[in-house]
Amino acid sequence: MSEILLLLRISLRNLFASFLNVVIGLIILVGTLFFVVGGSLVNSIDSAMSRSIIGSVAGHAQVYQASSKDKPALFDNWNMPDLDAIPDFAKVEGPLLAVPNVKTVVPMGVNTSIVAFGNTVDQALEKLRKAESPKKGEPKASREQIASLKDHVRQIVKVIDGDMAKLNVVAAKGAVDPEDLRNLAKANSPAFWAGFDADSLGHLEFLENKISSLVPDADQIFLGYVGTDLDAFQGAFDRMQIVDGTAVPKGRRGLLISKYVYESQFKLKVAYRLDTIHEALTVQHKKIAKDADLQDLVRQNKTQTREIILQLDALSARKAQGILQTATGSKESDLAKLFSLFFDTNDANFEDRYKVFYTQLAPMVELYRLKPGESLTIKNYTKSGFVEAVNVKVYGTFQFKGLEKSGLAGALSLMDLMSFRDLYGFVTPEKIAETKKLEAQAGAKYVDRADAEASLFGGGGEVTQGHQTSINDQAELGSNPQIQKAQDLNDRVYSPAEINQGVAIEAAIILKDPSKLKQTLKDIQKASDDQHLGLAVVDWQKAAGNIGQFVLICKLILAFATGVIFVVAIVIMNNAVVMATLQRVREIGTLRAIGAQRTFVLSMVLCETVVLGLAFGSLGALLGSGIVGWMNHAGIPAGNEFLYFFFSGPSLHPGLSLGSLLGAFVVVVLVTCASALYPAVMATRVSPIQAMASED
Amino acid sequence: MADIVSIVNVTKDYHLDKVVVPALRGVDLHVAPGDFISIAGPSGSGKTTLLNLIGCVDVATSGTVTINGHDTKSLSDRQLTDLRLDTLGFIFQSFNLVPVLSVFQNVEFPLLLQRRLGASARAIRVNALLAKVGLDKHAQHRPSELSGGQRQRVAIARALVTAPKIVLADEPTANLDSKTGDAIIDLMKEMNKSEGTTFIFSTHDAKVMAHADRVVRLADGLIQTLAEAAGSGPAALSPVEGH
Repeated sequence: MSEILLLLRISLRNLFASFLNVVIGLIILVGTLFFVVGGSLVNSIDSAMSRSIIGSVAGHAQVYQASSKDKPALFDNWNMPDLDAIPDFAKVEGPLLAVPNVKTVVPMGVNTSIVAFGNTVDQALEKLRKAESPKKGEPKASREQIASLKDHVRQIVKVIDGDMAKLNVVAAKGAVDPEDLRNLAKANSPAFWAGFDADSLGHLEFLENKISSLVPDADQIFLGYVGTDLDAFQGAFDRMQIVDGTAVPKGRRGLLISKYVYESQFKLKVAYRLDTIHEALTVQHKKIAKDADLQDLVRQNKTQTREIILQLDALSARKAQGILQTATGSKESDLAKLFSLFFDTNDANFEDRYKVFYTQLAPMVELYRLKPGESLTIKNYTKSGFVEAVNVKVYGTFQFKGLEKSGLAGALSLMDLMSFRDLYGFVTPEKIAETKKLEAQAGAKYVDRADAEASLFGGGGEVTQGHQTSINDQAELGSNPQIQKAQDLNDRVYSPAEINQGVAIEAAIILKDPSKLKQTLKDIQKASDDQHLGLAVVDWQKAAGNIGQFVLICKLILAFATGVIFVVAIVIMNNAVVMATLQRVREIGTLRAIGAQRTFVLSMVLCETVVLGLAFGSLGALLGSGIVGWMNHAGIPAGNEFLYFFFSGPSLHPGLSLGSLLGAFVVVVLVTCASALYPAVMATRVSPIQAMASED
Repeated sequence: MADIVSIVNVTKDYHLDKVVVPALRGVDLHVAPGDFISIAGPSGSGKTTLLNLIGCVDVATSGTVTINGHDTKSLSDRQLTDLRLDTLGFIFQSFNLVPVLSVFQNVEFPLLLQRRLGASARAIRVNALLAKVGLDKHAQHRPSELSGGQRQRVAIARALVTAPKIVLADEPTANLDSKTGDAIIDLMKEMNKSEGTTFIFSTHDAKVMAHADRVVRLADGLIQTLAEAAGSGPAALSPVEGH
């Protein structure tokens, strides 16, 4: 015991005895600092990201059909995994809920579909058409409303006419079709509008066919969504909150658009860009003058003013002109130039213009091209290649608390499971009934393949006289079973049993005790195997797809970097300890001469290096803890949307991880032992004769 | 009385590349307990080699070295180390104190290696010795805070702390001025008298030699004379002389 104390005493006294020790100490200090800070950061990102993934859509685990070619990849939106469907969710829900640690099972499926919007002219004309000939049951538009809509269309035609006239001047001869110019001149003429009321539908048709096509801003959105049992989803993922509108009523079909998508895809682009700049200036404290991305946004706003101009009717245009002239201090009368001037923002004028835009200009335009309560037609190419379209009512927008700014967490909207199944191309009982009805209406009958030829072309059937009937458009449209059906479906309330009975692509599992994830995964797999459910299960990290592997990659990089640092440290320290030992040959020789065994010398060198390592390692760990503490206090801001997801919020507050602290000490002891082993053995070979050698 | 050191026909060769350099060429020496012997001779005469062999830090090429009844050739490195720890004490020309340890800790060191005494017993022994060498007030000082003479006195205390039978001193006064050197030799002599410890020290200083009971003169690896020190009696003429 006293010998150990002596060793420790010598070691402690030797800490700063040599410059080399300080060098060794600093290497250890930096290594430990890196280990503690890096480890704590990675662990914090790991837990933050797990919160993001688990809390937004994945749950703690996902089950899917074991026969699938791929595994679930919830966040790999552009590379949809090939998953077989779970044929009947109702059959697997019970057995899954029976697994001890499982709290909730939420059926779901991820898909991306196309939502097409007409261009601004189409939308204005559509509104006018609706006002001119309302559908049954819809309120009639007032004279003033119709006049305003007409005025808006007229304003649009005027803008397009102006654009085309300019284009005709600068473009090569023949680039502008004279036919287009003639049509524009006609639509822009007072005579055209004087005769509008007499034949509104005819005039509208002319505008739709000849003028609307001149505006190429028709847009389509790729909408990623999770088809799920919306009630169960809202119960299971408590970070989810409704922002605009309402939740989809219990058992109804409906769509909740992610607030992030709603802002970035459905909002007026100019407004969205202003929001982005505003956020960068006020939250991230960036400067337009110094940020190329912000400058790019300003440039886009300056040049892409048409979207907003086309929304203004004549009255609004005049009003806007006044507002813009006041705001910019310009006497310019051309609206496009005025808007361009107005949006030419810099760090000094941005906030004022932002305020003017939202308080004075925004009320005159539609900020969003879709409002809660309206319906959206979503088209999807099914696996078999057919196009399926579903009309879904949008009830509102939602976000995940803390992940509002994350494009990853906000990439997916939420759709009811029924509409999802329709879009995915699954045959539902309703579809079978509908097909049968259509078959009956068409007089189709089932023909066996073997008898096809005989049935179709053979036999002794008489040739009968066909008769032609006229087509009654209005009658057809009025009684269109499709339209009727969509209305019925949107009003229908489905029971939980109806929602559950049917296919799901995967199911999120929420656990009672998330720390028992590994065991529960085994239990789920066992339950599936025992009851022949044909399911496979993956944890949230795998279910997330590539993004889930990010932490793993971070950990590998950290481990590799730490490994490199410590290998370099071992080499440098080995040399340094060898040199330090050589400097102490006489001292070691003396110790040997006065009776110290080789083992004592060996322990002495090892102990000294380990004590050195622990002392400087502790210092490094302390400094590292300080840095982590400071980062925890100050928070690391999520500079972009990507980081927002990894940090599970606007900033990361890393916590000191005990694991990396302990790990650092284990590594330090191992590294110092490894680097001191050779010099220690070398020291034992020092002969006691060395003590006798004279100093010079 | 049996010899505490017995060296019989000992040779020691050093190999420098392919050249064999004989350091000792057949030396016989017998030392009785309580002797105070000086080994004298010019540089390269083999003084240090002889001390190394007696100190069990080196082994003879041929011949027999017996220390306190142990033939050193038959002992393992571990046994030789134990022999050094328990039977021998060392005083070095350059003091060779552990720089990071205090005076007290330096003196205590061999006792810790022995693991025989408890902390309080060690402290009593160390303090007694420090008092004897006049350094009891410097117990907590570092070697670097002491003068050369003080350092050598610490070394003497360290050499004596285990109550060894033999103390070997290699040119103990070489790095000291003559007055301090004399004081050190006086101290050694005093210890020799009071503790009955055998002292064997090398020197080429005639004044220091004069303190010795006997002087062993070495030249070219051979003992020239084994003389009783001046004033102590007639010089012995035989190069090898037992008691």
